[in-house]
Amino acid sequence: MSTATLTPANTQIYWDVVTDILSQAITGELVGMSNFATLTGTIDDIHEKMECAEHANCERGHAEGFLHLAKKYNLPVNINMDGYYWKNVRESFVRWANKPDFIGCIIMQEVMLECFAVSMYKDVGTALQNHEIGQLFLSISKEEEEHIEHSIDILKAELDKDYAGFIQKVEDIHNDCMTILAEWSATVDLKGHCGVCRGECMKNSLYAAGLDIKGLRGNSINLYLKTLDRIGIPGLKSIEWIAQLPM
Amino acid sequence: MDSTTSHVEFALIGHQDSWQKISSFVNLLRNNSNDVEIPKEKLAEVYSYFPPRSLFDIEVKSITGRIAKGKYIETFISPDELNLKYWKNNIAKVRDAAECASKLQAGVATLGGFTSIVLEGRVDSLNENSFTKFTTGNTLTAAYIAKSLEKACLFFKKELTEQNLLIIGSTGDIGSACVSYFSGKVKKLLLCARQQNILLHQENKMSENKIDAKASTDVETLLPQADIIIAIASSIIENFNPGLCKQDVIICDAGYPKNLNCKLPGNLHERMFYGGMGIVNGGYNFNPDFHADLYSFPDKKIAHGCVLEAIVLALENKKIAYSTGKGNITPGKMEAIYSMAFKHGITEAPLFNTNGLWN
Repeated sequence: MSTATLTPANTQIYWDVVTDILSQAITGELVGMSNFATLTGTIDDIHEKMECAEHANCERGHAEGFLHLAKKYNLPVNINMDGYYWKNVRESFVRWANKPDFIGCIIMQEVMLECFAVSMYKDVGTALQNHEIGQLFLSISKEEEEHIEHSIDILKAELDKDYAGFIQKVEDIHNDCMTILAEWSATVDLKGHCGVCRGECMKNSLYAAGLDIKGLRGNSINLYLKTLDRIGIPGLKSIEWIAQLPM
Repeated sequence: MDSTTSHVEFALIGHQDSWQKISSFVNLLRNNSNDVEIPKEKLAEVYSYFPPRSLFDIEVKSITGRIAKGKYIETFISPDELNLKYWKNNIAKVRDAAECASKLQAGVATLGGFTSIVLEGRVDSLNENSFTKFTTGNTLTAAYIAKSLEKACLFFKKELTEQNLLIIGSTGDIGSACVSYFSGKVKKLLLCARQQNILLHQENKMSENKIDAKASTDVETLLPQADIIIAIASSIIENFNPGLCKQDVIICDAGYPKNLNCKLPGNLHERMFYGGMGIVNGGYNFNPDFHADLYSFPDKKIAHGCVLEAIVLALENKKIAYSTGKGNITPGKMEAIYSMAFKHGITEAPLFNTNGLWN
């Protein structure tokens, strides 16, 4: 939707941006891994428990993949799960896991967080597709997409069981998690520095990699809304939720 | 798109033509939020990323007592994207919106405003193997332009046969329908469009039929000769110079978005009305009621002709793609849909502009 000028790949600003993107991706994957690991403890069914552990391992694998490329290209990534936004995401997830609310956790991890991951990885991967790093982003985006697909049928069934109750739950989690993601992906850091980017906020430098934060965020919201549509959340309701988010 | 499907008689696919309306709508949705209103710049960052979806239910009452139920589907094509630069993206959005109408199992769906322009000539591809029949709604729009223009001539005591009629956007689907309708009814046709080849072909056709017509791609050469103007171009007419118009000209702005964004001087503004509009005498309502924010006119019963075409077809139980392609609208088809609408108390709107209804 929005366009950006692609700076040649050999400039410092380009590699600084790629490094910060990798830092965010690795931190995000580790948060995802931790979330699935926490979720494993809330499930009684052994098959679902094993599947959950497998998902955690899958996120670990993604983080390993990104770390490997960062090392290969000597990119000094900064992994900080205590950075403001990622820490809040993690704490929010743990609150739902402690209830314990398995469905709530699925909504947060496999719909909200994965929609942002799938969409942003796809955009980053497309922008960097001539590079090995871009190819990895694209392939992980595809894998994460499967997590979303996996959740849709489960959540549809939950909606059918308790229509009003389920919608209320999604709204509560949206207010919890999407508010953090909206602050994180706003054009300016609404809550200060993220604690992951090495220098100043990378958003202003994304153009160097042919990206821009408005497009990244817009496409993520688009996928999130489409996913809610597929689950069966009324279209006006989800737009109403998005309208409430900080911009 | 909602996954819950319920049968609706009609669907209206559309877009907003101003940020003011969008701002009003989004801030209405934020009424529970303690935050201040979102400025236009912030809205523009996210609005066009919203996927098409149904926003509200519509209930239309015919004077026969029949009630038709439908839904409005917003494409979220923003007012800044109504141009060729966003063509590919807009087509995708219209197709998604059409899919939404199909999922709702709407009997008939209309492609309102710019959405019909996007798919003009290709609308039939939507209708292939589709339960929902898609219409551009252009035939009833053209009929209402024609009828309201005749009404305006009566209002200003002008004899139609003595007037030079300028049609800006004459080769478009609605523009060419107006050309056909007014051929032989006015003194001279002044034809204006951007594509010279098609325009010359249109002028030659007029000449073959012994119709006095003059064509130009330059609106400024035609404006001084015009007694009546229909503006029905697909976008804002940037080089419309009101200073070149006759003092007693009658202007019908039938574009969506509005074609004449220039500030018309007072005397001309009083002679400009919005064309292609109809009025539902039995009334209609939205649920939730977004009327004031998204669809506000001087009379709450006024609506666009293209929208009303789908509603009329639904009221008539006709699940047909009445208006498709480009250049297929004939005066006969205009009269036919006009008569169908009339049976249900749906007819051309009273003349109005931003100052309100004309008395």
